[in-house]
Amino acid sequence: MLRKFYIVLSLVLIASFALAACGPTATEAPVAEETEAPVAEETEAPAVDAGPKVLNVWSFTNEIRTMAIAYEGKNPDVDVIYTMIPMTDGEYQTKVKAAVGTADAPDVVALEAAFVKEWVESDLLMDLNELLPYTEELQTYPAVVEVGTNDGVSKAFSYQATPGAYFYRRSIATECLGTDDPAEVQAMVADIDKFVETAAKIHDCGTGDYFAVGTAGAMFNPFLANRAQPWIVDDTLVFDPMVNEYVDFAKMMRENGYESQAGQWSEGWFAGMNDTLVDANGTPKKIFSYFLPTWGLPYVLIPNSTSDNTDTGGDWAMINGPLAYQWGGTWVGVLDTAPNAELAKDFVRFVALDEENLTNWATGVYTNDYLKAIDPETPDDQQQPSGDFVSSQVVVEKIASSFDDSDLAKWLGGQNSYTAFAKAAPSVNGKLMTGSDDAIQRALQSALEQYLNDEVTKEEMWPIWLDSVRNEFPDLVIPELPADFME
Amino acid sequence: MQANFRKNYYGYLFIAPFIIGFLIFGLYPVYDTVYLSFTDTTIMSPNSAQWVGLKNFERLFADDFFMRAVRNTWLIWLLNFIPQIGVALLVSVWFTSTRLKIKGVGVWRTLFYMPNLLMPASVAALFFALFSFYGPINQFMVKSGFLPEAMHYLQNTTVTRGLVVFIQWWMWFGQTVIIVMAGMTAISTSLYEAAMVDGASAWQMFSRITMPLLKPILIYIFVTSLVGGMQMFDIPYMLTDGRGSPAYSIMTNNILMYSKFSSSKGHIGAASSVGVLVFIMTTVIALGIFYFLRDRDSQ
Repeated sequence: MLRKFYIVLSLVLIASFALAACGPTATEAPVAEETEAPVAEETEAPAVDAGPKVLNVWSFTNEIRTMAIAYEGKNPDVDVIYTMIPMTDGEYQTKVKAAVGTADAPDVVALEAAFVKEWVESDLLMDLNELLPYTEELQTYPAVVEVGTNDGVSKAFSYQATPGAYFYRRSIATECLGTDDPAEVQAMVADIDKFVETAAKIHDCGTGDYFAVGTAGAMFNPFLANRAQPWIVDDTLVFDPMVNEYVDFAKMMRENGYESQAGQWSEGWFAGMNDTLVDANGTPKKIFSYFLPTWGLPYVLIPNSTSDNTDTGGDWAMINGPLAYQWGGTWVGVLDTAPNAELAKDFVRFVALDEENLTNWATGVYTNDYLKAIDPETPDDQQQPSGDFVSSQVVVEKIASSFDDSDLAKWLGGQNSYTAFAKAAPSVNGKLMTGSDDAIQRALQSALEQYLNDEVTKEEMWPIWLDSVRNEFPDLVIPELPADFME
Repeated sequence: MQANFRKNYYGYLFIAPFIIGFLIFGLYPVYDTVYLSFTDTTIMSPNSAQWVGLKNFERLFADDFFMRAVRNTWLIWLLNFIPQIGVALLVSVWFTSTRLKIKGVGVWRTLFYMPNLLMPASVAALFFALFSFYGPINQFMVKSGFLPEAMHYLQNTTVTRGLVVFIQWWMWFGQTVIIVMAGMTAISTSLYEAAMVDGASAWQMFSRITMPLLKPILIYIFVTSLVGGMQMFDIPYMLTDGRGSPAYSIMTNNILMYSKFSSSKGHIGAASSVGVLVFIMTTVIALGIFYFLRDRDSQ
């Protein structure tokens, strides 16, 4: 009896193996069936109410939720179901990838700069070329369109342009450099050599308690933005001289004590923004400057400039810094499988290419009260403060002067950040971005940290990085390292 | 035969839900993983998947990366399993000892088990904050003179591995204590009484009575811990940057598998090959354990 059972069991096993071998289509079917139920539940409820058109939007922050509610205000027959999944360690990317091809895949996805290219280069996003006329009308910054385009097909657009800037503390500048005037300070950090000289001055003037920057990692983006070639050309990894220069630069900054060793997004890095950075001995430390892009001002620097006892607001100034760069940004695209393509496209148009929406977005029209009037269930902290830098040159030029007397300007000691960003935005380069940047750069930073902490030598650092790259990109050709990378 | 069948019929009926569930949710995914491991399927372009034979496996052994992950996993698992079982045995002997009569056993057992109830994410975040450069551990170490200056703990491979080992041990030894204690209390006290009458020492009673009778329990703990240890993921993933940093010292099998899955194109074919090898490795070891620790007397 038992033997018979085993025979049957093993036959079932073989059969199931054969079934699995039928191909990927066979593997997808059960997933789809499995996930159909919950989606039906979600969409059923509103469908009963008034039969609105439903749009599923996934994002990694709550920013776009504001626009989703505004969109519902303009289109009462549409119900936007908004899902926020954080992306701290890549959860969002994983979740979206896992949902692709299943019934609970979203219609519209938000794509961050770090991974937008992967998607634009894939076949999973819908062709949105029909929205291109709007970009001409609004004079969307070329880099923004370029990033969302692959082989002449535009698949994602952004409401933001994200040129980078350099923010410094006026009080420390006056104390150590003799002036806090933006033009004069810009001259002192005009290129990397001058920046290093100034960093040394800041260090000596604060007798080691002042740091030029929180971490040399802050200049990773600016250095990489000035490479000649992207990371991958013709399936081959490119070792741009800028990469080596950055590694040496970061090491020099660490060895000379020009940086506080507080990594980006770490507690110490934030503490420096409001003068509460204290080292292990209890000695207070100060950080002179931060490299942050447009969104860094309203979302990072200003919210972190106050602590219980300190407030550095008004003590900041903004200049271009040593290198032009861009950092981050959120694009929106439509998944190829979206059942209501027209609606989804219209949502993307509204989010990224609608003059009124972009104006409202940047000028603080979308207050919590405004959103609550449309959707009473809006969370209390959902709103859009003014000051985000939008992707349309037309809108930027119209609203830039309105920030002359704004709270933002007061925070920057009277400088209008919007006008400053508007000058930097057109020169931003979108050509260097590829779908593999995120993984390659994260692996490099991980290996570099080892080198900065003297855990490995520079020669040992490169293989640590390249092993990781090779394992994540099986088909990538990795050439020999140039000789000068070893010096 | 007919009567036999009738009697057995209900048995099959009762286990059918499990068997069916297992076939669909347990066995099918395993076979699908095996299938995928012979293809170059990616998530971002699922339609261009091709059968590539053993290429995924060849690539795994083409460099040291995969073997490093295997070595890491074994090292971290062994370093936390040995003290875990050791401490669990010691604590259980004390707690069940009729001579010591320790009070508040239930309270201790609960306290030991507590860390297991914490979310791994919060545990990892806690240790990350404690051991960060501007964190409290550095303040303590420098102010009390143990270190001349603050250090980057999570950039040091030994410290980072040690932390993972400690967290795994701390989170899981309470669980092991509970199982071992259950096993020990199940041993009849008359055996110990007889041994005491014969003048056996505490060590003799432990090695001649407790250990042999505890063997099935120990095998169970060993195998479940091995299976769990080979799939170690959450703590090492979240403690540093999710890539096994520093220098891949805490990159485990599953982190490697995950990084292949979550890479820009989503190489699920290549990721599956890692899963298959871990599956084979775990199965062989588990079968080996059963073979070597089998009850030889009953043969």
